[in-house]
Amino acid sequence: MSYLSISRVTKQFGDTVVVDDFNLDVEKGEFVSFLGPSGCGKTTTLRMVAGFEIPTSGKILLDGADITDKAPNQRNVGMIFQSYALFPNMTVAQNIGFGLRVRKEPENMVKQRVEEMVSLINLEKHANKYPYQLSGGQQQRVSLARALAIHPQVLLLDEPLSALDAKIRISLRAEIRAIQKKLGITAIFVTHDQEEALSISDRIVVMNTGVMEQVGTPFEIYNFPKTRFVANFVGSLNTADAEVVDPAKGLVSMDGVQFESAEGTEGRKKGDKVKIAIRPERLSFASEQKKANVVDATIENITFLGSVVRIQVKIGNTKFNMDTFNNPFLELPGLGSKEQVTCSKEAVLVLDE
Amino acid sequence: MSIFARIRRIPFWSWFWFILGALYFLLPLYATVNFSLRMERDVIGFKAYVRAFEDPEFLETFLYSNFLALMTIVASIILIVPTAYWIRLRLPEARRIVEFITLLPFVVPAIILVFGLIRIYSSPFKIPLTDITILQPLTTFEVGTDILIVAGYMVLGLPYMYRSVDTGMRTVDVRTLTEAAQSLGASWFTIITRVILPNIRAALLSGALLTFAIVVGEVTLASFLGVPAFGPYLFLLGQHRAYEPAALSFASFLLTWAAMGLIQLFTGDQQVSGAH
Repeated sequence: MSYLSISRVTKQFGDTVVVDDFNLDVEKGEFVSFLGPSGCGKTTTLRMVAGFEIPTSGKILLDGADITDKAPNQRNVGMIFQSYALFPNMTVAQNIGFGLRVRKEPENMVKQRVEEMVSLINLEKHANKYPYQLSGGQQQRVSLARALAIHPQVLLLDEPLSALDAKIRISLRAEIRAIQKKLGITAIFVTHDQEEALSISDRIVVMNTGVMEQVGTPFEIYNFPKTRFVANFVGSLNTADAEVVDPAKGLVSMDGVQFESAEGTEGRKKGDKVKIAIRPERLSFASEQKKANVVDATIENITFLGSVVRIQVKIGNTKFNMDTFNNPFLELPGLGSKEQVTCSKEAVLVLDE
Repeated sequence: MSIFARIRRIPFWSWFWFILGALYFLLPLYATVNFSLRMERDVIGFKAYVRAFEDPEFLETFLYSNFLALMTIVASIILIVPTAYWIRLRLPEARRIVEFITLLPFVVPAIILVFGLIRIYSSPFKIPLTDITILQPLTTFEVGTDILIVAGYMVLGLPYMYRSVDTGMRTVDVRTLTEAAQSLGASWFTIITRVILPNIRAALLSGALLTFAIVVGEVTLASFLGVPAFGPYLFLLGQHRAYEPAALSFASFLLTWAAMGLIQLFTGDQQVSGAH
């Protein structure tokens, strides 16, 4: 049996269904991210696990115990908020010790645990400072230590990095993941940032309009999106209208240009309208050895993005982006020149229109 | 930049309105002080102050009014803080109704309020349809009258206390702090006493000061309920003496300013933290 089980959970506000039939099993020590755009229901789901919202229907089990209707202060879950939510009237040490003092733990035990936590987040020198005397990154680390101090069964993180600048965000997410692994704590992380979710998670739940679109490892989500929404939302994607030519061979035609897809077009008939999707990094200039999916293209635009060079090519009547790693000896074609580009059969995703 | 250079940068009309406003406030105060110091002919002295403070009734009424003010402040905090907190947290739609109720003391004069209180609470409380008395009329015994007047003062101070508390709660993220405390295992009582109250102490002090000023100088409720408070004492003194009331009025001003100074002293740190 899984450690945290969210079973057939639905949440309605009035007539609006915010979360619809959500099912997820999380193993102990697993790091799961809820990824999706604003309003997709990811935060509401997290808040139902925390106890701040009660599901309209469904059950939430934690280590076998039904916590669906339990008050938040009786659940033993740690929560980290986007706005840090540190108590402004308390020092770092007092903030971290708050949960333990509320639980009436002996004072010597509280002090010892606070010292452990302060050392875990490397803020020993700041233990007696007030939140307003710390930077955003430091405040969020205190918030993490405060949530972990009470030995929660699950750690819930509600967009904890959104208010931080880019560099701090990257270093703190690595720190959060390292601490989570070290303590072996089960964590649910809510974010709308795909890079964040891909880099930190064991599994990702992609959500859209209250519905789970796909659950999988970051590798599966990125490379094998099951729905058009997932394909579009995670990473950048070239999409184009196409038509099924040979369902058995997985052949589709876009503006008269044929592409072969490895996943095939089973269940579809010849002439069915579909979308093809190819990630920019899966396209490359064709070498002589390549045989599959070699198509003619015109170079439309070249944009230098630092480590990557984005080349816009026109295939048939459709513009595609093609990403290639930058190096000082890269020989780029001229604008307007005719080239051949290619991609593997596995790179061509066929999605419903 | 020197202070003179800063002053020169402020436009003429700003100074004009500032000075006009200051004169409007300071001239009557100066007149009161000046008058209070001239009790003896052709001599500037503190005789009026000495005589006012020597009167045992002064200390008695002043201490009694302070006691009533303290009780009013404590009772107001107990009633208003959880109310404002709950409205902000769970019932934002009730805010307009409550704000309207808090404005009623501006519309209903104190004289109406006191007659209403006397009318209702000067008869014994009986179990309906029986002759069994469960409480004697509040106006017939001292503690009862104190309860009644404190309740009346709570109504008079309601607009100031509620607005101060509500403004204080607006400056802290009440909802997220509450949720953070809940997730750490805190009960509602712990959240209010250890998280919410300490973070709105500046607002509480402001509300308490305004309530204190209202209660200590209040005449109508105290006169009609017949309690030996400072307001009626000052009023009677003004009818029989000339210089002592002026001296006591100025002393009241000093007391208020001292209280404001204390508020600044105690809330300075919190304002800095709030700015972040």
